[in-house]
Amino acid sequence: MTTIAVTAAPSRRALLWEGCRDISPLVIGVLPIGFAIGAAIGTSTVPALAGWAGGPVIVGGAAQLVTIRMLDTGAAPAAILTAALLVNARVMMYSAAIAPWFRDASRRQRLLVAFPLIDPTFFVSAARFQRHDLDQRGRLAYYAGAAITLMAAWMGVQAIAIGAGSALPEAVGLHLAAPLAFAGLLAKATAGRPQVSAATVAAAVAVAGIALPFQCGVLVGVLVGIAAGIAVSP
Amino acid sequence: VTAWIVILSIGVVSYALRATVLVTVAGRTLPESLLVPLSLVGPAALAALLATFLFAHGGTASTPPAAEVIAVLAGMFAVRRTGNMLYVFAVGLPVLWLSALAGV
Repeated sequence: MTTIAVTAAPSRRALLWEGCRDISPLVIGVLPIGFAIGAAIGTSTVPALAGWAGGPVIVGGAAQLVTIRMLDTGAAPAAILTAALLVNARVMMYSAAIAPWFRDASRRQRLLVAFPLIDPTFFVSAARFQRHDLDQRGRLAYYAGAAITLMAAWMGVQAIAIGAGSALPEAVGLHLAAPLAFAGLLAKATAGRPQVSAATVAAAVAVAGIALPFQCGVLVGVLVGIAAGIAVSP
Repeated sequence: VTAWIVILSIGVVSYALRATVLVTVAGRTLPESLLVPLSLVGPAALAALLATFLFAHGGTASTPPAAEVIAVLAGMFAVRRTGNMLYVFAVGLPVLWLSALAGV
């Protein structure tokens, strides 16, 4: 008589926990950015509650940071909106890339999946789904575990930093926390020649255009930078 | 009030873009002509914003304190070497403090 080993499919609760566990290292990695954003809110003129609400509303550290900094410097709302959306544009690629994994999900479920879709949730989920051993319900449970963990940590660390930001002396250098967070993200985002070209040209043009009205220098810099990156793309 | 309106507007538009792509593009692939520019948006936007934050003061361009530039470059170098975002703060902030102590 032949014995067939049957492996039970993991329960949704187990997959929820697995998503929570798998995203934890990435959460630790983004906590400094969350702290930097919280500190930026705490030391800015932006109402603390509005700035903190930007975490779950905007769902994107860099875009939230841009929003806080530009609100603090009195930039025009249209310029802030444009800059934040440009910074978050990469998430559209994540949406396109993760969509096939939720092909069998209902429209309502896909709308929920779109809400916390950002770098950590995308990276950890895409890697897990590539193993092709989860059905639709399993993928949703795993994704939910990862997303809930990320959002809870993200909002928690920002709340702490908002409280600590104004209490810490200037010598600590928290005023540089936001630019440092950008610098770290930039260092990770410039992997190839097109990206380096786009970043270099965008920075140079943005500085040259600092005096332009409504902080349009950033927008012009981004557009010229993208053109430069395309020009050197293979 | 302005801050709330701006933050909510960004949230709504940003979510709408994510959701629209996820709901409507499921199963399809975006054309290469769109993927290349999209992949460059992040680096270009981050660099433009970083440069502006460092060099803009009161609506005009001015040279930032050397200690800040050194700290940012050191932090970027550390992240490039390690691939770990934590190092931008673990290296950048101590470099800022030391540079300030040294009177740079």
